[in-house]
Amino acid sequence: MVSKNLMAASTKPIILTILAREEMYGYQIIHNVTQISGGTLEWSEGMLYPVLHRMEKEKLIQSQWRMVENGRRRKYYGLTENGRKELEQEKHQWMKVHKVLSKLWALTPS
Amino acid sequence: MFDLKKAIKDWRKSLEKNEALEDGYKEELECHLRDKIEYLKNLGRSEKKAFEEAVRAIGEAEAIGAEYYKTNTRHLNGQAPWRKSRWLPPLISNYLKIGLRKIKRQKTYSLINMAGLAVGLACCAVIILYVTGELSYDQYHKDADRIYRVSTHMINTVGEFRFTTSPGPLGPELKASYPQVELAVRLVPPFENADHVLVTQGEKRFFEKRVWFADNEIFQLFSIPFIRGNPQTALIHPNTVVITEEMAEKYFGEEAPMGKMLRIEIDYDTGNTELQDYEVQGVLKNAPANTHLKYDMFLSMETMRNNQPLFEENWTDFHAKYTYVKLAAGTNAAEFEKRIEREAQIFLKHRKMELYEFFLQSVTQIHMHSHYQREIDPPGNWTYVTIYSIIALLILLIGCMNFINLSAALSTTRTREVGLRKVIGALRRQLVAQFLGESFLITFLALILAAGLIFFLLIPFNRMAGTALTLSGLTQPLVLLSLLGLLLFVAIGAGSYPAFILTNFSPISVIQGKWASVSRGARVQKILVIGQFAISVFLVICTLIVFKQLHFMKGRALGIDLEQKIVLRVKSNLNHFRRDYEAVKNDFLQHPSITGATVSSSVPGEKTTGGYYLTSKAEDFNNAARLKILTVDYDFIPEYDIKMAAGRAFQKSFGNDENSAYVINLAGVKELGLASPEEALGKRFMAHYHRLTKTIVGVTENFHYRGMQEIVEPLILDIENSLFNTITLSIRIENMNQLMSFIKDKWDKHFPGVPFEYTFLDESFAREYRYEEQTGKLLGIITTLGFFIACLGLFGLASFIAQFRKKEIGIRKVLGASTSQIVGMLSKRFVLLTMFSVIVASPLAWYAMNRWLQDFAYRINIKPLIFLLAAGGALAIALATVGLQGFRAAISNPAHSLRNE
Repeated sequence: MVSKNLMAASTKPIILTILAREEMYGYQIIHNVTQISGGTLEWSEGMLYPVLHRMEKEKLIQSQWRMVENGRRRKYYGLTENGRKELEQEKHQWMKVHKVLSKLWALTPS
Repeated sequence: MFDLKKAIKDWRKSLEKNEALEDGYKEELECHLRDKIEYLKNLGRSEKKAFEEAVRAIGEAEAIGAEYYKTNTRHLNGQAPWRKSRWLPPLISNYLKIGLRKIKRQKTYSLINMAGLAVGLACCAVIILYVTGELSYDQYHKDADRIYRVSTHMINTVGEFRFTTSPGPLGPELKASYPQVELAVRLVPPFENADHVLVTQGEKRFFEKRVWFADNEIFQLFSIPFIRGNPQTALIHPNTVVITEEMAEKYFGEEAPMGKMLRIEIDYDTGNTELQDYEVQGVLKNAPANTHLKYDMFLSMETMRNNQPLFEENWTDFHAKYTYVKLAAGTNAAEFEKRIEREAQIFLKHRKMELYEFFLQSVTQIHMHSHYQREIDPPGNWTYVTIYSIIALLILLIGCMNFINLSAALSTTRTREVGLRKVIGALRRQLVAQFLGESFLITFLALILAAGLIFFLLIPFNRMAGTALTLSGLTQPLVLLSLLGLLLFVAIGAGSYPAFILTNFSPISVIQGKWASVSRGARVQKILVIGQFAISVFLVICTLIVFKQLHFMKGRALGIDLEQKIVLRVKSNLNHFRRDYEAVKNDFLQHPSITGATVSSSVPGEKTTGGYYLTSKAEDFNNAARLKILTVDYDFIPEYDIKMAAGRAFQKSFGNDENSAYVINLAGVKELGLASPEEALGKRFMAHYHRLTKTIVGVTENFHYRGMQEIVEPLILDIENSLFNTITLSIRIENMNQLMSFIKDKWDKHFPGVPFEYTFLDESFAREYRYEEQTGKLLGIITTLGFFIACLGLFGLASFIAQFRKKEIGIRKVLGASTSQIVGMLSKRFVLLTMFSVIVASPLAWYAMNRWLQDFAYRINIKPLIFLLAAGGALAIALATVGLQGFRAAISNPAHSLRNE
């Protein structure tokens, strides 16, 4: 398990990264996250959608309704140009934190 | 069998309740649910299990909706309007808007409401300030609970007396003998009459009132902060003085006072006053208002010791020396008091006729609870605290009743709003909250208004009560808390009734236009109007009685002539005056406008404390009678035009009256146990004061030396120059400027360097009645205000009823009723209400005023006429108010009121 704060902070970069590969709908995103993390990151699934909604408002992603097989509709999300830039920044920041922590922990192994 | 399609449909429906979830969001969520179910089914779950697990995974719709709302809203706290707030009622902004709008629309009524409440709140705030001030006396001293004054209880043949003073050696004796005494400090005024000590510095000469000889430890015992100088050493040397900031500025202005000299006139009981130089050794912060020990200067006790060494050993002088002690922590004061009770008896073995006991007074209790002889500061007065508090509460009560009445009357304009709110689904308690909130709003606005009023009220109140209250006192936590309490009390008290009737409407009857519940409200309104008028009538009766008593006291013959007399008080150079008073008098008598001059130990309107113990047997003072003493010269009785009941006044032609004659008053005859004035003549008595035996040569009528509050006390007049300190000049009022400059010249000749001060006797005597005049004035103002507010309430009620019966009046007019008939019909019930309030108020007022009058030795009888007068006045005012409203209703065109149905 991961703490609530860390979870909230990491949501955005994770979504951005996943969507950078290809356009996906909500369920797919969650499914991907669960699989990649091996179940260690468990999201409250419904809460994903308000987050997506907000990111769309912030113009990081864009959405599109598409017809799929058996007449159902799905909302697909993809990155915008802003989103890509944001992802680069997020990556940069996370790596910085990561470096500091690895150095610290390498010096004094616990 | 589990039906997945139906289950999903129901789930989707449950989302509908949430307003933040728009259709698209819901569809997306449903899509997610279906995918998840599909996935779980593939893992081998049953349809039911898969559905339940998927629903759980998605989570609470409520929380998701709130998240959506947060991203959409511009509200700062992101609070969705349909979610319950933590503490604010929903629709609060709407309530506030409506409330303010109502206040704006009904300016007059709102103003009446707020003004009534504001006046009440302001009065209460002033009283709160006053009471907290009174109760805070001397609380500020460090370890105040361990500081006591040692006072004296004296019992002798005449009676019991309690003095706040004690003998000079007591303090050091206690300190030396008892480990319980941590500190002992003595305070001694430098003059027989401490209210005028002559202080000079160069050309500056003033009389000071608050000057004390004090032991240096006083600065450890009391919390008296220094600005300059060292509290440990300031008063250890002779001829040193510590002064307050105010004094420093008065005598030295901009110059630095430390080390400078002040010349102060001291009387060491040696018969001569001396001007001595004192070096300023310290500057103190000004004395706060809330201490009984008022001070401007402290002189070192060393000086006293140098000049009057006997003072350290004199156990017989119980007067004018104050002893304060600080007990060690943990000392039981009551036990300690028992041990020191008889301390004086050891030193007073020879004084068998009097018993002296000491008792302790906690310094924090002195202001409110000590009413003994020789108090340093006029003590606080619970009676006035109570009277003022009651009056303030009465005004507040009238204001509240007014608020209730007007809100109730105005409720007719709000029935539709309430009805509509109810129909839409407002709960009763929500509506109650709304209207209570409105009353909070109005009370709060009234409080702001009151804050302004307080400023204007403080000035006359300070003058009246002799206090120094300021606006800044309002910031004390206790005062603020009380005000807040008052605000809550008034808002809830005055607001709950309107809230109750307003929310009690049945929406159906409102929309049908029936006002059944409103007319029930009118009954309560009637009771309130009776209450308001009862309070007003009560106040009117009180005011009338106070003024009647005042008029009675002023009009009653004093038996003494106070007109056209100027009084000069000799406060310095007394020895010259007492020796050469005839020469002084004769100098003044040279002016043609000065028709007479007399000297005495006091003048009418002054408190006389001194008395002679008189005995007919030599030296046997155990069975002596005590008569108050007034020492006079030959001219006193004729100048003051005092009538003789028997015998003669002092006369020079008899040769030796100063050594052989007394004159007493009629009360004195009784006190001496004599049957008639004639019998008193020729009786011989010895007085303890000068041990001379003199003969009573005359008896005066009982003239009033004090105000009518006091009974005429047994009095003896004696020609005894050692107590003279006052000159009375009888004048003719003509060419006053020239006359006054003549008097000043003569004054400067005999009393050089002494500031010239004078009073007109009739004016100073009128001060005897100042408390009654102030109470009368206060009541007069309050009564007017009370009546005004009550009339507003009545006006509101009358207009409400006229409105209520508009159609009836219209029909009556159509059928031929005249204007006067309609006015009469509308006014009739108010006459009854007013009469009823008079009946309620009269016995209460009678009881209250009867108690008040008990304080007066000479008083009026309360006659029924006063009650009739008050009733008549109340009725006239009520009729004028109601009649106006009724007249307006009566002349209105019936066509208007009947047209719309």
